[in-house]
Amino acid sequence: MLRFTLVRAGHAAVVLLGVTVVVFALVHLVPGDPVRVALGTRFTQESYDALRAASGLDQPLLTQYLQYVGNALTGDLGVSFRTGQPVTSILLERLPATISLAAAALVVSLLIAFPLGIYAATHHGRASDTVVRVASQAGVSVPDFWLGILFILVFSVTLGWLPPSGYVPLTEDPLEWARRVAMPALAVGLVSGAIITRFVRSAVLESLGSDHARTARAKGLRARVVLLRHVVRNAMVPVVTVIGVQAATLLGGIIVVEVVFGWPGLGRLTYDAVAARDYPVLQGSVLLVAALFLLISFLVDVLYGKIDPRISVR
Amino acid sequence: MALLAACSPGEGVDLDESEGEGTEQTASGETLVAAIAGEPDQLDPHRTSSYFSFQVLENVFDTLVEPDENLEMQPALAESWEVSEDQLTWTFDLREGVEWHDGTPFTAEDVVFSYTRIIDEELANAWRFASVTEVTAPDESTVVIEVSAPTPNLLPSIGGFKGMAIVQEENVESGDITTAPVGTGPFSLADYSAGDSIDLTANPDWWGGAPQVSGVTFRFVPEPTTAVAEITSGDVHWTDNVPPQQVEQLEGDDAVVLGAAASNDYWYLAANQGREPFDDVRVRQALSYAIDRDAIAQVTQYGNATVNQLAIPETSAWHTEYDTYSHDVDQAASLLEEAGVDGLEIDMLVTSEYPETVTAAQAIASQLEPLGVTVTPREVDFATWLDEQGQGNYDVLMLSWLGNIDPDDFYYAQHHSTGSFNFQGYANTEVDALLDEARTETDEDARRDLYAAAARQIADDASYIYLYNPDVVQLWVPELEDYEARGDGAIRFRDVSITG
Repeated sequence: MLRFTLVRAGHAAVVLLGVTVVVFALVHLVPGDPVRVALGTRFTQESYDALRAASGLDQPLLTQYLQYVGNALTGDLGVSFRTGQPVTSILLERLPATISLAAAALVVSLLIAFPLGIYAATHHGRASDTVVRVASQAGVSVPDFWLGILFILVFSVTLGWLPPSGYVPLTEDPLEWARRVAMPALAVGLVSGAIITRFVRSAVLESLGSDHARTARAKGLRARVVLLRHVVRNAMVPVVTVIGVQAATLLGGIIVVEVVFGWPGLGRLTYDAVAARDYPVLQGSVLLVAALFLLISFLVDVLYGKIDPRISVR
Repeated sequence: MALLAACSPGEGVDLDESEGEGTEQTASGETLVAAIAGEPDQLDPHRTSSYFSFQVLENVFDTLVEPDENLEMQPALAESWEVSEDQLTWTFDLREGVEWHDGTPFTAEDVVFSYTRIIDEELANAWRFASVTEVTAPDESTVVIEVSAPTPNLLPSIGGFKGMAIVQEENVESGDITTAPVGTGPFSLADYSAGDSIDLTANPDWWGGAPQVSGVTFRFVPEPTTAVAEITSGDVHWTDNVPPQQVEQLEGDDAVVLGAAASNDYWYLAANQGREPFDDVRVRQALSYAIDRDAIAQVTQYGNATVNQLAIPETSAWHTEYDTYSHDVDQAASLLEEAGVDGLEIDMLVTSEYPETVTAAQAIASQLEPLGVTVTPREVDFATWLDEQGQGNYDVLMLSWLGNIDPDDFYYAQHHSTGSFNFQGYANTEVDALLDEARTETDEDARRDLYAAAARQIADDASYIYLYNPDVVQLWVPELEDYEARGDGAIRFRDVSITG
């Protein structure tokens, strides 16, 4: 297990280094001069040159890159062009909001996906299966931000139950946090739940028809035991992969939904950084999301082994 | 919509539960909650160019003088001022007893520091001090500004907006000003929660009198539908993030107050005079005749605008009558024919950052089609847009100018042959002479005539093809009293109160 962890960590480090190259290159290849955006429309050549030098943008690209990676290793991701604050602290400030929304949305999606997916698979071909399939297809097709706006109109404006937007940290006031996370988590969770439902359904369906499930039934095990112990567990490997990808996607930024609900998360930060050509923040947030993605896929790999001991550690 | 979703008492507002009852008459105890459309990039008034920053900073900082609701300059940190006979020395007498939010006294040295900082560090607004040669403080409450030539627009230059605010040296040197600015204004910064909101607390010692509300919370609500929902559900008192297509419906809604003011901003088209055939004035005039300004204002602003063939709106004291370019397609066609232009193809630069430009380009394309002119909108992000403009890589572009007060703001940088924003490449010696002269003309009537002449010539030459002045549209709850939407877009909460 230790060797497995080390090898995986090594892989992750290489991938992360690759990410820095790609991100750095992409960001600097995007047309548009960050200094001009920062200065607005009226400025003199002197003020332009001064800001350019202060931001280090007058250095050759390679120098800029090596400096960036060197500093990143010590946790220093540079300073935002826009605000002048350290990128690392900006990211850490935004992380709790994103993680708490992603976690809430994931809970919503799992609460939808497992019951519905398993139910549809065990009622394969019947009307209820069709209803779930159509509903999940609709859920996959509906944009989450549109659902968000709909929720605001229903729950805030018409019913007056929930505040339309804003964020309160979970640690500060859990109840208020729940009131504010409910609508965005539901909007995102419904869509992501629809995606997972489809995977759960097909994985369970496949597992139901497999030999070991038939054997278990033939042994006279109760249907419930067959389903939970033998069918669902075997169906979990592909499902966990999808859940992992969904979780990573949620962490990576629920950009538009964060905008709709005024949620101060990573997605909105990235969005603003692109608009302002704030290279350091953009690089930092992409790097952080990549790192989270790698972390989750590592966890998924570990989970594989737990779910299915046949998957050995190479 | 909105079934009288009036504020339930104390709903959604965090009160500073300091001393329960017995609060002084300074504050009604309620905190005003305002929803703005985005987050300030930073709170250093000299370095930011973001409107979101200025919405907040308007309430935190002071300038020496400041515009009243008619955009005329009134005393602020300076109580009075006088100009020497030769117009080259301005002496300002400062208000006494003013304190910074941290309790230290405000002095003339602070003014010298602030202006010197803008000039020496070549900050974005250094150009406003173009004629200033020296700023000194002969004593604690006097500031003297020396100029190299008569500068009739010095007051709007130093007080037109909070980008020229007086800042505190200690706050600047420590670097705290970007997130925790210390000002002299009606509210002080209490808390900044990144990505979410900024809290201000009333300054009971403000020289203009203590504000009526106990504080202001600026929340960042980028989605306009959400912002309006915040108002109708009573969670927010004020917003300027109003979807233009909802204005008409909101006007008829008794549960909200819709405030509109004609703004001094203007939208324009500019043709690249460094490229053929746009170097021919007849081609540019043809465009000006061919477009339908009313239709453009309708699609971009849903009619919340006043069409104008010059930059300055009717509400300004500097307005000039001008209506040469009636919507006249025949006239446009004959001008194009005269210029020998046929089958013109226009590369129109637009940006998604200002969706108005994208919408307008489509309208303009269809308006020019009958003339055999093909307009191809090219949509880029704003950073690219600025680059393309700088390199002259476009035929026609559309953009707006914001926050203009003095006619020098409206015309010099844009149309003087040496102007820093004259990217369209306009050069007319007559206009140059008029603009130069008007810059230093101290007789107000004479100055007005000079600008009127320059403005007419600029429009005759179609250096810019002016379109309209958009309205400033804001929405607030009826409980918010004594608030007024201002044409310069300054958001002032110092005199407002919340009832009920």
